[in-house]
Amino acid sequence: MSNTAMTKEKWVSLFQEIGLDEATMTQWHRAFETRHPEEHQSFLEWLSIPEEEISQIRGT
Amino acid sequence: MHTIGRVARKYSVSRSTLIYYHSIGVLVPSGRSSSNYREYSDSDLRRMDRIQLFRSAGLSLDSIVMLLGKKGDELNATLEGRLSSINGEIQALRDQQKIILKILEKESAIRGTRVLTKKIWVSILEAAGLDDAAMENWHIEFEKTSPEAHQDFLETLGISDAEIARIRDRSKAFAH
Repeated sequence: MSNTAMTKEKWVSLFQEIGLDEATMTQWHRAFETRHPEEHQSFLEWLSIPEEEISQIRGT
Repeated sequence: MHTIGRVARKYSVSRSTLIYYHSIGVLVPSGRSSSNYREYSDSDLRRMDRIQLFRSAGLSLDSIVMLLGKKGDELNATLEGRLSSINGEIQALRDQQKIILKILEKESAIRGTRVLTKKIWVSILEAAGLDDAAMENWHIEFEKTSPEAHQDFLETLGISDAEIARIRDRSKAFAH
């Protein structure tokens, strides 16, 4: 995935804008990780999230 | 003490590999037998264990020679460097994967790869409780706040150009 200036902050605000709260986002990551771990990793990399934080997100 | 043949068998490497390791100083046998054959001590074997471990992490022999004499911090820095170069290689492979999929343009080719598809994406959004209306909103907001990233993201899902144009036009129309 090439990166066209998409960041975690922008993504989170996008999700907040459509009414997703923290709990729903956590649930979303969990579903993503359980069903498609590799794609979850790719997606987080696409958001330019540092490796350390990616493991944190994927671990929860 | 262990002979070169025994060490080679134990680590599934050839004798010439061990002779090469000796010549470049990565693994120098501690002893010589009376007939001048190489002899490896237990501590040589422990060093070989680490060499094998670093080799399987894809590190070059040059880096390994450096690493073996180092403490935790420097070791971590080198391994992190290797990790980031692996990430770079993965990225390059993903780009190639994307190009091949584009050439093939077959749904069957997409299955069994690690590409994030529209189907997977939608199923995950649904799992988080998003309905069609929420997804529609998401496109509208995405288009409004980051139009280029919206295009890029839809491309990574393998959606056709025509469908991307439809989605973005619809999102723009609702944006006011």
